[in-house]
Amino acid sequence: MTSWIDACGLDDIEEEGVRRFDHQGRTFAVYRMAGDEVFCSDVLCSHEAVHLSEGMVMDYEIECPKHSGIFDIRTGEAKRLPACINLRTYPARVDGTRVKIEI
Amino acid sequence: MDDTKFGTHNKRGDFTPNEPAEVAPIWNFPPRPLAILKWLPGYFLPWNLLWTASAFAWWAWVVPDKATMTSLSWGWVLWLFAVNAVAVFLFYGALELHLYVRRAQGTRFKYNAKWPSEHKSTAFMFQSQTIDSIIRAFGSGVPIWTAWEVLVLWAWANDIGPWVGLMDNGWYLFAVWLFLPVLHEVHFFLIHRLIHTPFLYKWVHSVHHNSVNPSPWSSLSMHPVEHLLYFATAAYHFIIPSHPILAIYQLNFAGFGAVVGHIGFDKMEVTEDKGVDSHAFIHYLHHKYFEVNYGDGLIPLDKWFGTFHDGTKQGDAQMNARYQRRKAKANAKANAKANA
Repeated sequence: MTSWIDACGLDDIEEEGVRRFDHQGRTFAVYRMAGDEVFCSDVLCSHEAVHLSEGMVMDYEIECPKHSGIFDIRTGEAKRLPACINLRTYPARVDGTRVKIEI
Repeated sequence: MDDTKFGTHNKRGDFTPNEPAEVAPIWNFPPRPLAILKWLPGYFLPWNLLWTASAFAWWAWVVPDKATMTSLSWGWVLWLFAVNAVAVFLFYGALELHLYVRRAQGTRFKYNAKWPSEHKSTAFMFQSQTIDSIIRAFGSGVPIWTAWEVLVLWAWANDIGPWVGLMDNGWYLFAVWLFLPVLHEVHFFLIHRLIHTPFLYKWVHSVHHNSVNPSPWSSLSMHPVEHLLYFATAAYHFIIPSHPILAIYQLNFAGFGAVVGHIGFDKMEVTEDKGVDSHAFIHYLHHKYFEVNYGDGLIPLDKWFGTFHDGTKQGDAQMNARYQRRKAKANAKANAKANA
């Protein structure tokens, strides 16, 4: 069963930024785009399990800091080698000044 | 120089040249003599003549006399190693210092706007691409390069192999010299395809691909097995009638020439309005996209095998079609595993 979890404050993430969020032994990436759009995905790169929270976010894409594999943060779709396997994504929304994710 | 006259920077600041990457025009049909004439100076200058000059310099001032090399001894072997190591340090180091430490031309003509030194990564020893690359270059790259050189020179000194005297058949040796870059290209393409097979990629070649944003020191940042295969171009001189100078040229072509694909800049600025083409774009695209451009474009092997990327949107589309097929397969496998 899923539930909405408080992940962080909206201001904790820069626009076109990403923040790591750990919860009950799991780890997630929470993204913020311009206009306060927020997204959430698994944070480990599907190529070599590197934390994507160190990567660069631009144009709804996150670039892995290790081998530059790219994922669409809206859908989790792998967009560039060496990443091939898509990331799992989770619903995210802004609630006042907080970011909530459904996991 | 104003690099926007020669290409564009995307939102990330990465430079892409206007001119697509091309394979050597000698393969065009119908033939294009003017294109060949235009391409020819770039075939020799600046790099091939530099490696040739280095081979003659080695022969004149570095290689010991024949009698010394008839037996293997640490003295001359370590001497060759020391010279190769110092030469690599000076050549690679000078380019790295100029372009990446002093950043003499900033990010003008730079394919990837990021600087490797500013991005620590657990992919590297000490989390540093530069330190990791230097350790690999001097830890196994130069020793293996020197080992091949020693083998060739020892064999020549002992009359093992089909050696031709320098004065006996000069025109033949000149023709071999012209042919050696082609041989290098075929060899490089074949071993490169080999080490991109899944097992060898995982255990050997992934070391080199950790440098997705290569700099000169990345050139010899390889696993020792890859060094061994890469410098095995010297072995052809045990088959083709040759001369040790040409074998040294072949090794220097591989050793110093590795830097060409890893400079990371499309042009190296010489004056305010003049720059030297680096010829690095084709191999840069390989580092960026992993599964394109296994060769360097002297022979259209990648075109023949459907893996050529010329840096254009059309090249992207062709690569993407292959990527989508591979991705569909990988995701189907991952989903089946998750649902099992």
